[in-house]
Amino acid sequence: MSIKARLHPILQHLAGGQEVIEVTGHTTGECLENLESRFPGIKQQIRDKRGQLRSYCCILVNSESIYPKELTTPVKDGDQIDIVIFVAGG
Amino acid sequence: MLTKNDLTRYERQILYTDFGEKGQKRLKQSHVVVAGLGGLGCTASLYLTCTGVGHVTLIDCDRVDLSNLNRQILHYEEDIGEGKPSSAARKLAKLNSSIEVTPVFKKITEHNAREIIKGANLVIDGMDNFKTRFILNKACVAEGIPFIHGGVHGLFGEVTTILPGKTPCLACIFPEVPHRKVSFPVFGVTPALIAILQVTEAIKLLAGFGSLLAGKMLYFNGDTMDFTFCNLVKNQNCKVCGTKEA
Repeated sequence: MSIKARLHPILQHLAGGQEVIEVTGHTTGECLENLESRFPGIKQQIRDKRGQLRSYCCILVNSESIYPKELTTPVKDGDQIDIVIFVAGG
Repeated sequence: MLTKNDLTRYERQILYTDFGEKGQKRLKQSHVVVAGLGGLGCTASLYLTCTGVGHVTLIDCDRVDLSNLNRQILHYEEDIGEGKPSSAARKLAKLNSSIEVTPVFKKITEHNAREIIKGANLVIDGMDNFKTRFILNKACVAEGIPFIHGGVHGLFGEVTTILPGKTPCLACIFPEVPHRKVSFPVFGVTPALIAILQVTEAIKLLAGFGSLLAGKMLYFNGDTMDFTFCNLVKNQNCKVCGTKEA
């Protein structure tokens, strides 16, 4: 099964500069856990102390918001998961 | 109608085939609201002014501080303590006296946002916080006014153009308003670059040529000098612009 996780530019240095990483899992949550186990720095950036996604981070599947099922949405072969960080500075 | 002075002042951009005198006239007839006079808003309003947008409204509720001067290029040391809109407007009036610049020293709230932007042709997002951005996003959707979003953090920046009814809005991607109350790192070059991209979008949108960042977020990574895109899809359940009934 090939699922691609695409990292927001602000996260890429935590994955050795990679933008797209192949991940495994049946849901978005499993795919994120797979990603975080390989690149632990990402977890700190996108999750709070309770393990919930931080409010300025969202997950898109094939460019579409999956809120509020950001960690439980089923994924299939060929899907792309975007991890988006909202940058607020001006 | 373009004057002889206009034709001279804007000669080099009028030469651009897809723009021409027709495009310049459209800019002259346009009204743009710049919401926030920080790093993004200063650069954006500077280029809106020199490119000949007929009316630019500048709105902010902050005063100039020494810590602003690494990036907010319309404010000088002598302006510290002054309201940002009047500080910026004074310089812009010297740059181009043929356009109208309206400074508004006011906080944008849920209650006044629609009134502030009413009648404008577009709004430039120069905010420095999530809450007001989302207020403006909602007001722009309600008024049917394009909203050109920009945001920065350190050497990272993002831009997208929101066309109400046609493209996803900010709430399509972030249904709940994010919260983060910490000072963010920023080099002056990052908001400058992102603001110039916002104004590039504004010129094309107002003059009616080129293609826009509609339905896609452009990311700039200054660490690696990469520009990348993320496609965005409209959320039919969006609380702000969705079409599905609750």
